Amino acid sequence: MIPHHLRLYFHFVLARIRTQTAYRTSFLLDVASNFLITALDFSMIWLIFERFGNLADWSMWQVGFLYGIISISFGLSNMVGRGFDLFQDEIRLGTFDDKLIRPYSTFYLILVHQFDLKRLGKIGQGLIFFLMANAKLSMSWSIGKVIFLLATIVGGTCFFIGLMVVGATLCFWTVQSIEFINIFTHGGNEAGNFPISIYKDWFRRLFTFVIPLAFVNYFPTLYLLDKADPHGAPAILALISPLVGIIFLTVSSQIWRFGVSHYQSTGH
Amino acid sequence: MRVYLEFGRKSFQKMLQYRTANLAGMATNLFFGAVRVLIFTAFYQASTAKQPLSLHQVATYVWLSQSFLMVIRMWGRPEVSDTIRDGSVAMQLTKPVDFQFYWLADEFGKSTYFLLMRALPSLLFSIFLFRIMIPADPLTWLAFLTGILLAVVLNQSYIVAAFSSTFWTLDATGVGGFCFALQTFFSGFVVPIALWPDWLQQIAFRLPFEGMINFPFSIYLGEVTGVDILVGFGKQILWIAFYVCIGRWGIRRGLTKLVLQGG
Repeated sequence: MIPHHLRLYFHFVLARIRTQTAYRTSFLLDVASNFLITALDFSMIWLIFERFGNLADWSMWQVGFLYGIISISFGLSNMVGRGFDLFQDEIRLGTFDDKLIRPYSTFYLILVHQFDLKRLGKIGQGLIFFLMANAKLSMSWSIGKVIFLLATIVGGTCFFIGLMVVGATLCFWTVQSIEFINIFTHGGNEAGNFPISIYKDWFRRLFTFVIPLAFVNYFPTLYLLDKADPHGAPAILALISPLVGIIFLTVSSQIWRFGVSHYQSTGH
Repeated sequence: MRVYLEFGRKSFQKMLQYRTANLAGMATNLFFGAVRVLIFTAFYQASTAKQPLSLHQVATYVWLSQSFLMVIRMWGRPEVSDTIRDGSVAMQLTKPVDFQFYWLADEFGKSTYFLLMRALPSLLFSIFLFRIMIPADPLTWLAFLTGILLAVVLNQSYIVAAFSSTFWTLDATGVGGFCFALQTFFSGFVVPIALWPDWLQQIAFRLPFEGMINFPFSIYLGEVTGVDILVGFGKQILWIAFYVCIGRWGIRRGLTKLVLQGG
């Protein structure tokens, strides 16, 4: 069953990629502009560090490390989870009805439906800044750490997809697009560009315990760069980080199911 | 003139329908403002060196730019460029009006909408909740509002010029992206230009983008005063003239090349 789903998924993804690359110049420009616009986020880090120097015990490239990880995760989630981002259209146009009569879960069908290749721009710039940070910090990697890093990125991607799923689920009740979830997706990405420890208590708690953004890059970075949390968070939190994202997505998919059971068609 | 006012009013009315979207947008603006202010607060608290702007000034700058973002229409994507792609631009061209001014009027309607429905409420939040600075001198207010008005026109003539390239490329996402990136960075939206390294400030002040964000808000902060304000207005007006000309040229050339898409 699973391999069949996977095969079908790749079949659709390839089809999407072919559509999006049909106009080559236009596609390359899209990727390049996505690269450039998202790389501007790093310009904020650079300008601020240039002006103020180190922040407590964080250097610019340590923040760059943090930035690289969240950019890659967020870019991947946007690439893969695009269907949930556009889900409001399915509700508004009534095309979700068609999905209900197909022999696959609706969650799977929405996921399969879209794939946004131009996010390679965001992922690419994240990767570049990550590698630069890596060189500047002269990191030493072990196989264990590399596996942990990959798991962290998977966990972070799951976390952001989870948020998008929650945002899409809200559309079952509101019908029109409410972009409130952007506060947590794009806003979370923005906030996560800097170490979560620098924020005020209420903000830090919100993004650790309610919306587990801190597990996307902050706790993993503490572990990888061998730093301690100034607020005394136990080191074990770092190691379970990848799991937190996966659990978050699992919970979101249950919320999604609940939403589907409350679906009222708008008709065609 | 009346006909353009009417176009502006229509586009204003169209925007009125998106109430929840506007609320969500406002919440997003406020959230991003909060994140940025918190980041600056952390850096100011960690450093003892004297900075060109105080934390209170930077916070005010951030809240103002978040409030006025949609009025200035940063990253505003003119809908007219989509009509080139789907061919319905043909309908627009049959109207006995100047195409560029029609385009600008449409954008202006949106700016007015966002001034009333987004900027004013956000500004009230910023004043009462976040205690931003309030200039005491009515002349500062007058200069600030003039600066904002010119910033709006400057930004719109820039965007219209940039998006007139749609006549050639059909899909303006790529070109638009580059133009937006330049604008976001050099306008001082990300970090107030006063905090930049000197050499980069020199570049920024020679470019048009400074007049879109940094200049009007620096008036508000009391960082630009006297004759410098008038010089700033002059720069904004020159750049507006420049982009209006580029836009006119682009649209005229574009119309001779236009292939109507669709049936």
